[in-house]
Amino acid sequence: MTALRFADEYRNPDLAQAVGTKIAELCEPGRDYKFMEVCGGHTHTIYRYGVQDHLPDNVELVHGPGCPVCVIPMGRVDDGIALAEQEVESPNGGTSKVILTCFGDMMRVPGGNGSFLDANARGADIRMVYSPLDALRIARQNPDRQVVFYAIGFETTAPSTALTVLRAKAEGIRNFSVFCNHVTIIPAIKAILDSPDLRLDAFIGPGHVSTVIGCRPYDFIARQHRKPLVCSGFEPLDMLQSIYMIMQQLSEGRSEVENQYGRVVPWDGNPTALKVLSDVFSLRPYFEWRGLGSIASSALQLSERYADFDAERRFSVPGVRVADPKACQCGEVLKGVLRPWECKVFGTACTPETPIGTCMVSSEGACAAYYNYGRYAKQRIHLEV
Amino acid sequence: MTTPVWLHLERPTAACEVREGCITCGDVAVELVVVHIDGVDAHCRDDEGRAEIVATELVGQVEVGDHLLVHAGVALERLEVAS
Repeated sequence: MTALRFADEYRNPDLAQAVGTKIAELCEPGRDYKFMEVCGGHTHTIYRYGVQDHLPDNVELVHGPGCPVCVIPMGRVDDGIALAEQEVESPNGGTSKVILTCFGDMMRVPGGNGSFLDANARGADIRMVYSPLDALRIARQNPDRQVVFYAIGFETTAPSTALTVLRAKAEGIRNFSVFCNHVTIIPAIKAILDSPDLRLDAFIGPGHVSTVIGCRPYDFIARQHRKPLVCSGFEPLDMLQSIYMIMQQLSEGRSEVENQYGRVVPWDGNPTALKVLSDVFSLRPYFEWRGLGSIASSALQLSERYADFDAERRFSVPGVRVADPKACQCGEVLKGVLRPWECKVFGTACTPETPIGTCMVSSEGACAAYYNYGRYAKQRIHLEV
Repeated sequence: MTTPVWLHLERPTAACEVREGCITCGDVAVELVVVHIDGVDAHCRDDEGRAEIVATELVGQVEVGDHLLVHAGVALERLEVAS
């Protein structure tokens, strides 16, 4: 694997134009192409750098469910708030409130009972961390308080949580636990493929998830569903090259898994990370995904061996289920059925400052990415048409 | 393929301070260089000089000068540097 040397090399507009022309040459006249980028990072790149504008009009990029924040259902946010607001037994006697820790974007995700920021305004102690290892440090610094890490993310992030649990166990830190919301990407792709209201020609595979799981788990997409998948990097030229590789497959009648991001993604993933994941986690029978509903074997929980670090076993968690607000169409956006600007509340009632849906919270969410980088363009285009 | 109208427009102003978002939430991994090793942790820097302590258990033994792909404070992969 070779490190990216100069970022500019991957953002060269002349090269992008040239790749766009080559993609156009491979298009069959009269045929429309729909490719789903699974990862929210790719969605961000598409809007930030205008990748779609280098593509022919008949090649459409559809945004998938790979934004970790966007797929968290409102009920799990409320569960986190309930955890943070309850008085629990302190490790050294007495009672005190939990210190809940979470990644930055989670602070603003609205649940049925407000967001984590709202809970802090009511007196909860919810702190933003960059890594679960930071949460473990907070636990070391606060031996008289229970510290819970609100874990979210796909296979890119789950190894950091697993490693943190291993360190907590090795160090004998008893006041640390994990409220686990880690999800896995393959069941989500299966759910998308089984969705009756979406026709896709190919997938742009997630780059950093694949660093951990490798490229082999996607084989079923090519073999059973006869659709190409290309694991892609996150620079604009990475994405355009991936789309070109997909177009080559389609024009030659092939459906294979290919790796455009070979400088980072090993074909077999990271075996050490996979071993740690299988040791620390087990699959939940079911997990509720925002927009996709309940998906079997699609999320992780602490395995029996590490049950002592499972916040859901250590504390009382209500297990809230909250329906999405009626106006919110995140579900359709996450499945690629609706484009962000087609949502009824996009850019009006729902903005990054006052999000109604999760897709408007994280910068990887399709709605936030489009709002930040393209919304004025849409208005201008409407005016000129 | 026509040139989109909005390419001629200025970029929209930032909608909020978190425009770039939380990189951990975004599944973003970054390339860092090891500058010092402290047991299983590596003290690293990015190309703008920002420092970070990185757990290295998932990539095996690292050395000063190694390039690592890092997400959420944990090295996920060791990268080779292009010549």
